[in-house]
Amino acid sequence: MDNTGYITLTRQMGLMREMQVVANNIANAATSGFRQEGLGFSEYVQDIKGGGSLSMGNGNVRQTSLVQGALSETGGTFDFAIEGDGFFLIETPEGERLTRAGSFTPNGEGDLVTFDGHRVLDAGGAPIFIPPNSGSIGVGPDGTISANGQFVGQVAIVQPNDTTNLIRENGVMFRADDGFEPAEMARVLQGFVEASNVDPISQLARMIEVQRAYEMGQSFLDSEDERVRRSMDAMMKSN
Amino acid sequence: MRALQIAATGMLAQQMRVETISNNLANMSTTGYNARRAEFSDLHYQQMTRPGSINASDGTVVPTGVQLGLGVRPAAVSIHLAQGSLSATGGDLDLAIDGSGFLEVTLPSGQSAYTRDGGLKMTGEGLIVTSDGYPVSPEIVVPADARSISINSDGEVFAYFAEATAGQQIGQFDLTGFTNAKGLEAIGSNLFAETEASGPPLTSTPGQDGLGTLRQGYLEDSSVDAVREITELIAAQRGYEMNSKVISAADQMMGATTQVR
Repeated sequence: MDNTGYITLTRQMGLMREMQVVANNIANAATSGFRQEGLGFSEYVQDIKGGGSLSMGNGNVRQTSLVQGALSETGGTFDFAIEGDGFFLIETPEGERLTRAGSFTPNGEGDLVTFDGHRVLDAGGAPIFIPPNSGSIGVGPDGTISANGQFVGQVAIVQPNDTTNLIRENGVMFRADDGFEPAEMARVLQGFVEASNVDPISQLARMIEVQRAYEMGQSFLDSEDERVRRSMDAMMKSN
Repeated sequence: MRALQIAATGMLAQQMRVETISNNLANMSTTGYNARRAEFSDLHYQQMTRPGSINASDGTVVPTGVQLGLGVRPAAVSIHLAQGSLSATGGDLDLAIDGSGFLEVTLPSGQSAYTRDGGLKMTGEGLIVTSDGYPVSPEIVVPADARSISINSDGEVFAYFAEATAGQQIGQFDLTGFTNAKGLEAIGSNLFAETEASGPPLTSTPGQDGLGTLRQGYLEDSSVDAVREITELIAAQRGYEMNSKVISAADQMMGATTQVR
């Protein structure tokens, strides 16, 4: 008899999760290189002994939107944006990670690093050294960095082998467990940073939908409660 | 109900962005000021279902899993080092740096600080100091009987005496550069201090090592771009409002939950 309640509960839990995803997207609407996340629902069917089945909704499928974010011009020498598919490769203590947040700077030793201090790697997996006081720095579309016309290094642009299996990590980073290969179709732009690709309007619309759906679920639970109560009252009276 | 906290991190981040913008706008006319930009990064993720884990019921591999983000954090407020435009002042001791270098000054504590504000002054003893009275390093003293002084683009200071037509060199300005000038610590009064992140100071003569040259009679304007700041301000304000909408929506969902008997 409690099945109705439990089924509604799975949906309510999923909606709560989705609300959290929407909140996280909106909170990161100004985080450069951030990728919008979505939550999908899947059906979860439970077999019932003695015939029939129960179908529950489970908010369990995650999608990462890899749509290009808007490019905002900063004019910074070491602000790089990727146009097209691909990620910068960075070195963290836990291993190599991918990111689209291209706001880099040389550290005290002259190595190019992210704002968290992780080194940016070239295609060979080595850090990129920017000579001190190197004057004008130019970056080509293929990521080649030159100082005063001299080749300095080339930032790696890679593409994960499986874009659906990207694990998000703190610091706008992704972990690609299935490996990655050099990206073919990406262009690097200097003096730009890719803004978050969150679409705030659609996120707000989705937020309202989620909220209303949640309230609908609650009023359903409410009327279910009422129904059970009334049938119990009726049974009591018949005795 | 984590949506509440997540939206709160979003509001805090947008608030920090507004604070950075208001500081930029407040320093629109500060000599040698460089605009700052707040940068954000996502917080860590809660792994509800790991991608690649095995689905218990039939043994298939979950392709994407569920990861729930926990909001946003301020990652950096970076200085956007750009050459500001130079405005002519005609002042003898107004110096603009046309390049990426800094002037070194000595603080009363004996420590060195670095500045791009070249609006220099003279003390009663003829010592060349900043507007706050910190002597420029290496120290340059202008003799009391000097008629006028001139500073050339390489930083050489010449003084002209009484009837003499040829100047006499009395000092030399140096310029200092850093491997990572963005890593300098701003200590107020247009001054910066060396940090671990900036790397050691590299002092050199103006015109060498790519540090730029000096221009007498000019001051470097603030590099704040008002149009950009206002656009950012609008975006930050709307972002703040959106996060507060999330808070009220999450609140109403909680309200709906408590109404169920």
